[in-house]
Amino acid sequence: MFYLSQVEQNLKMPPHLLKPSLLDGELEKGIRGELEKRFLDKVITNLGLCISVYDIQSFEGGFIFPGDDGCATYKVRCRLVMFQPFVGEVIVGKIESCDEFGLQVSLGFFSDIRIPERFMVQPCHRGEDGIWVWQFKVDNEEFQYSLDIDEEIRFRVASVKYPPTPVEQSENSEPFSPMEITGYINGDGLGLVSWW
Amino acid sequence: MKIEKANAGNLTNFEVFDFLRSRGATSDPMGCIGSVSPSECKVFEYLSGSPAYMQTRESVNEFLRKADKFKFITSFEKLNIVNSTPTVMPALYATIKDCDKRIAKEEEQIAKENQLEEDQLQELLELVKEIFPQPAEEQEELSQ
Repeated sequence: MFYLSQVEQNLKMPPHLLKPSLLDGELEKGIRGELEKRFLDKVITNLGLCISVYDIQSFEGGFIFPGDDGCATYKVRCRLVMFQPFVGEVIVGKIESCDEFGLQVSLGFFSDIRIPERFMVQPCHRGEDGIWVWQFKVDNEEFQYSLDIDEEIRFRVASVKYPPTPVEQSENSEPFSPMEITGYINGDGLGLVSWW
Repeated sequence: MKIEKANAGNLTNFEVFDFLRSRGATSDPMGCIGSVSPSECKVFEYLSGSPAYMQTRESVNEFLRKADKFKFITSFEKLNIVNSTPTVMPALYATIKDCDKRIAKEEEQIAKENQLEEDQLQELLELVKEIFPQPAEEQEELSQ
């Protein structure tokens, strides 16, 4: 689910952040703060969602370029903890909502996980209250298992997509999600955790 | 920004959990303010509810060392197993890709050999249960 990514960034340190850290001798703390502001909670295409700054390997420079409002520019090499599940990984999440296309699952810190109808346990149909129900037949007996909201669900990652940022968005459209995960639950051991 | 190394190493959920804990994250969301950001706190909260909460560095290393003898699982599958600690056979099937196809690989193989593979899966499951025991409260709930 998580892995480390090594990046190099030209970081501009505004003067008001430099003053206390240079006096304390804690420039690294100031740089870390700026890195977190730059990367934390942001999605980097093909790398994933940045969860945390793991460590700062080196930084050099500190030159003040003309026209930069007095910002000192440092070349920082650091490692970031990225969240990007690999295809085939099994993850447990909570069902957040369901609509006519399928389920939406959330992990707390990440909610753009969709399980479309074609990837759900078959056969299943959507009940009157909108909740998806799995009809399980064994020896002429039929059991109905419903996929309720807030239930823990185990799914396997089918794909991770990074749709391009739309240039224009109409007011009523859904908020843009930079990283989308599609999962499937039609397999042994998958589906609601309480089923197995 | 220049990406020097896109993948500088996979991390198990336990390692991320340990890292956030050492940075000062706690289960109490109000207690986290100051040391870690709210989004890091959310990740910590998610991981606290996962099997990573009960794991230690030694148990994870021990599992990886002992699982080395199972040649049929890849390192990604080992990562899957450490992150989800399956305790029942169907859950283990879910973590191993194309499990049923790998057990009955070739029709020419003697039936005894297929039996061997299933025994290996059972052995793997026992190893997971031994190294990553379920928390005591859950077991009490189950027995009630």
